[in-house]
Amino acid sequence: MEKSRTSVTSTPISSVSTRRIRRRSFRQSTRSHFGVASRLGLTPGQTTHRFNTSRKAPKPQNITEKVSPEHLALLVKTEWHLCYVTPLYRFRHTQLKSYARQLSAFIAAEKQQGLGVEVGGLQDTFKVSMSVLQGLAETNDDPETVLIQVQSRPAFARQDEPLKTVWSGWLSCINGNPEYLHSLPKDFTCLPLFGSRGLEGLSSLVKSWLRSTFDCFFGPLDINQTTLRWLAALWTNCHMESNIQHLKMQWTLPAAPPLHVAYTVNSSDALALWRSVRKSRAADQEACIEIEEVTSFMEGLTSHFYRHFGVDLSAGDLNQVSTALGSAKVKGRMKISSSRYLISTLSLLTECAFLKIPI
Amino acid sequence: MDDPAKFLLRRLVRRIPAQMLKATLEKWGRLNAEQRESLNFSQSKWALTQELEALCEESRLTVKHIAELEMIYITENPNQMMWHAFQLLDPEDGALAVELMQFKELFKCHLRELVRNVSVKIKKHTDEAVWIRMSWGEGFSRLSHLNATYVVHYLQTPYVFVSGLSPKNKPLLLQVLTLSTKHERIKDANLSGRKLTAIRDLLLRQYEHVFPTKYPSPLTERNQSVSNLHTEKEQAEASAKRHQMAGQAFGNGVLPALQSAVYKLETKFKDPTNQTMTEQDEPFRCVVKFSSTNLLESLRHCASSGIASTPVAPLLSSIPLKGRNYFVITDKSPSANS
Repeated sequence: MEKSRTSVTSTPISSVSTRRIRRRSFRQSTRSHFGVASRLGLTPGQTTHRFNTSRKAPKPQNITEKVSPEHLALLVKTEWHLCYVTPLYRFRHTQLKSYARQLSAFIAAEKQQGLGVEVGGLQDTFKVSMSVLQGLAETNDDPETVLIQVQSRPAFARQDEPLKTVWSGWLSCINGNPEYLHSLPKDFTCLPLFGSRGLEGLSSLVKSWLRSTFDCFFGPLDINQTTLRWLAALWTNCHMESNIQHLKMQWTLPAAPPLHVAYTVNSSDALALWRSVRKSRAADQEACIEIEEVTSFMEGLTSHFYRHFGVDLSAGDLNQVSTALGSAKVKGRMKISSSRYLISTLSLLTECAFLKIPI
Repeated sequence: MDDPAKFLLRRLVRRIPAQMLKATLEKWGRLNAEQRESLNFSQSKWALTQELEALCEESRLTVKHIAELEMIYITENPNQMMWHAFQLLDPEDGALAVELMQFKELFKCHLRELVRNVSVKIKKHTDEAVWIRMSWGEGFSRLSHLNATYVVHYLQTPYVFVSGLSPKNKPLLLQVLTLSTKHERIKDANLSGRKLTAIRDLLLRQYEHVFPTKYPSPLTERNQSVSNLHTEKEQAEASAKRHQMAGQAFGNGVLPALQSAVYKLETKFKDPTNQTMTEQDEPFRCVVKFSSTNLLESLRHCASSGIASTPVAPLLSSIPLKGRNYFVITDKSPSANS
């Protein structure tokens, strides 16, 4: 569908687009949900994307042949702060060296802004390296993941001391929605998932450089309650193949002062409960998981809690889910502890990022 | 000063916050006024430590004196360490009459019988508590003053609070305590926390209790619920009842600032909608930990605002009722009785 593109940097575009859409509302009345969405002031997406009601259970994959061990070591067992990114304009995977040079110049310039020049003073030198993280892309449409690292030598270190990585980040798209990827105009590269770790100041500098160079927009990828529940169910399902050790959920109840509840369930008992809520289906459909099963699983856990304490956990918020395979926090922080489930977790997060992108 | 003394002093100066250091040194009294005046408290802790070390050398202070300083600091600020409560049971005839001097003698005497290599210091604090600091030594080696055990006991109550006790020395200390307070047994009260004042108030029940009444309180200010005019009329009675029951379970006013409670559940999963799980014989094992800056107030608020159903579940109301915060719940025991 052709809708004249507004600038990707101005989001949400509710006020701008509704005027156009009202004029064409007669034509669009058949696409009923678009009409509703525009009247409510919500931004209609390019795709008819709704949150998945069913998923495939993640299979453990041994990706050590595809991805180099150093890259894996970088990604796994670290907590990443997640954001979504709108498509990048005129981003070339071949020009990474030049981008890295531009970014380090940008960082150096920003750091010096407002500082008096010290006579003979030593500055922190930042060196940026950008590289392609080969091997994560699942389909032919997925652009390759890009890794950005900022290294620095502290001001008083000797010249021969090794540089320390003070910030790392990556842009990725795993199992991206093919319709969406095909519908993008030629010059746009879609890498909707951005993960970062390190000094907060550097994160904002890198983001503002990317924003001004590639005309994109960053927003927080909050892992919402539904996704956390999906993760709890999916990880429990993985216990059949890899030991999750425990299923730990952290809730916060709105009391004064706030009450935190850490509910840790033994892994085999959690799996038994999960198996009991699974519907019976044909052998080839085994891997398919539906949202009703996830809901029943969570209800089973919360009702067991209620029977003992008389406290209804749904009155509060689920903040964090963690197992031996990883942990996810509602503020958009994620840690993947096992490389076997890296691809499937990143696919889930890419999907969340696609849902958040305003266009 | 020898090495252990220096080490202890350094660690202590690191631990005591700068603003309290001056007052604590004054209370200690081992340095005279002149020496205290010469200390510059605005410099870094490292420099201050060097100065203090020099002064202590001058006055020929030993590790025992430094241990005194530590004890003074801990007595004034007990809310920094992990305390565990124990309960004395089966008092003998003279138990209630044991007073300070007798307790001191009995304690030292029984301790000498059981252990040779230990150093003890007993002090009575202003609020009727007896504080004991103990440094243990391995066999015949020198005493280690670095990992001291602290014991707090309120005479004539059956409770003892201990911090910093290694599993090796635990049976010894417990036996000595039992004998010197003229009881027969001692058991773990399953209550622990960082704030000594909170767990003490909880066990000694030093907070405002609410007793069940047939008629609601005549003072309407007590039943203040969220004032929302639209719901007030409908909800007033239900809200007042919830407040009353929450108060009965947990108490009124400011509650002891307990910070966490842990329940280890090993009960069967009973859910009428889930036959598969209900038919299983094995228990559903899970561990639930409640935490908050003031746990009892949070629970009371949950009960009065409806998040927790009232009457308050026995598992929750056992925390103040039984004065414990670690529970193991199995099916055989009636709820909250293990």
